[in-house]
Amino acid sequence: MEEIGFLGLGIMGKAMSMNLLRHGFKLTVWNRTLSRCDELVEHGATIGESPAAVIKKCKYTIAMLSDPAAALSVVFEEGGVLEQICAGKGYIDMSTVDAETSSKISEAITSKGGNFLEAPVSGSKKPAEDGQLVILAAGEKALYEEILPAFDVLGKKSFYLGQVGNGAKMKLVVNMIMGSMMNAFSEGLVLTEKSGLNPQTLLDVLDLGAIANPMFKMKGPSMVQSSYSPAFPLKHQQKDMRLALALGDENSVPMPVAAAANEAFKKARSMGLGDLDFSAVHETLKATKS
Amino acid sequence: MAKILMLNSSCCSSQILSPHKTTISSLSLSKAMAMCSSFCPRTPFHPRAIKHQNSLQFKAFSTHASSTSPPKDETPARIGFLGLGIMGSPMAQNLIKSGCDVTVWNRTKSKCDPLISLGAKYKSSPEEVAASCDVTFAMLADPESAVDVACGKHGAASGMSSGKGYVDVSTVDGATSKLISSQIRSTGALFLEAPVSGSKKPAEDGQLIFLTAGDKSLYETSAPFLDIMGKSRFYLGDVGNGAAMKLVVNMIMGSMMASFSEGLLLSEKVGLDPSVLVEVISQGAISAPMYSMKGPSMVQSLYPTAFPLKHQQKDLRLALGLAESVSQPTPIAAAANELYKVAKSHGLSDQDFSAVIEALKVRLQQRT
Repeated sequence: MEEIGFLGLGIMGKAMSMNLLRHGFKLTVWNRTLSRCDELVEHGATIGESPAAVIKKCKYTIAMLSDPAAALSVVFEEGGVLEQICAGKGYIDMSTVDAETSSKISEAITSKGGNFLEAPVSGSKKPAEDGQLVILAAGEKALYEEILPAFDVLGKKSFYLGQVGNGAKMKLVVNMIMGSMMNAFSEGLVLTEKSGLNPQTLLDVLDLGAIANPMFKMKGPSMVQSSYSPAFPLKHQQKDMRLALALGDENSVPMPVAAAANEAFKKARSMGLGDLDFSAVHETLKATKS
Repeated sequence: MAKILMLNSSCCSSQILSPHKTTISSLSLSKAMAMCSSFCPRTPFHPRAIKHQNSLQFKAFSTHASSTSPPKDETPARIGFLGLGIMGSPMAQNLIKSGCDVTVWNRTKSKCDPLISLGAKYKSSPEEVAASCDVTFAMLADPESAVDVACGKHGAASGMSSGKGYVDVSTVDGATSKLISSQIRSTGALFLEAPVSGSKKPAEDGQLIFLTAGDKSLYETSAPFLDIMGKSRFYLGDVGNGAAMKLVVNMIMGSMMASFSEGLLLSEKVGLDPSVLVEVISQGAISAPMYSMKGPSMVQSLYPTAFPLKHQQKDLRLALGLAESVSQPTPIAAAANELYKVAKSHGLSDQDFSAVIEALKVRLQQRT
């Protein structure tokens, strides 16, 4: 396959681009903090000085930024994607943003003749490292077909969901449920402890039944130890909840459980836990003194 | 007449209760237990072994024993079963099919008929069942009926006595369990609370998870029966601990179902296919059997009852009560509980608890 550009080497971007390199893809990478490119260069990537430089060099460019603001800035700012995007080039934005941001980017790209695909992912650091992401693509179908070889390396399953916005929405809905589940789980763990029971027993029981899931299994033990090494930063989870609630707002959909969960994440941010794993929301319940 | 429990000393791999039918000499329970520990070293249970060796293991339990007098110490334990609803019926059936000697009672007598045709005996009150059995199980819908069946007029406690055991498999709050426990124990009998995780299908398939607490010796002697009805069991200590664990599990479950409902509805309202959402979820970190099982029917607005919504709401209410008793905030569970209450108010009590999604839809309609 042709050389691929990669913008954004954070927790996800770095793991994803390493994965592509390991599978023989040629990459040109860019990151706002240049030093993060070093390890990738050691593994054979070349550096682009700016998003525009990367676009100029590559037929396909993947972006993995942390939030709507970063996703927009990489496209619109000076030295950004728009300066070099043109017909025959494809831009694949795998950041998690709201549908409106995605539409804005899509319009800008396509108005310059470029092809656009939004493709947010479900899965955090480890699935990114292991190529086990779930990819929720929407937009230009032809571009989706062309980039599939890369998707097949990055993920275990890809979905094509139709028009731009659908991928973004699907991702937000999934993360909304995940955020609420994490809070429900946290409430259960704290209540178990407060009732004089062993939280490990709760984990064992949950693992046997209908509500067993990988997230509880992975995060439960570390939550019991109050250990929150970031696989998915809490501030991003809260961002996703906020965007999901906005989506519900726009469509008059009642979401009382998600709203309550969002409050817990906000509280966690105000406690300075934003850069820890999103499971650190557990601390908000523990912190409450009777 | 004192009923004595003797342990099957010739069947060392399992500790089986067997009443001594011909009372030549009576052994106290403690002596019987002592016999057990010397003749029957405690080996770990192998539930699958017990499940599949129907004919061998439970020859002793067969009510159609050979015409020759039963070998010494190998007469079957008499099991009582009170409450034959969605859960109780398949649980009792599994016991009968495994060769156990089962006596049933249900408030609505007709529910007993299928069990009787499978070979169960019938008594017309919990008291009579308890009096004629060694271990009596109870599977009632809520705290009120659990107390009534155990402690009410002609209740099980009236038929209990030293040497017998009462295993309450209902899901209730700790206070109710303790109340029943003290009534039962005051007769000299043993008590075990043993609420289950798992609904209709796991009950039918013998795949329940027992969360027990109370008298450890009753836990040990009930174990073979729990292993027929379930896939695993936990002993959690003092009465109240099993109840608490069950409520915590169902609190998480109720919140998860409410959140899942919000997601399904939101996906639909923003132009996505909710079936695709179910598929996406099944691929990722939050994939849970409950979502894959219930998702497809919820998308069709169908809610075939495996776990009645009213019972889920009862469990949430009791869990919130538990949380309050230890001053623990549970905002998500509280928000979820409200949705179940709305669903109940719209007549969905007897639908599956997944019908909680309708509470969100109804609210939507009420707004416009």
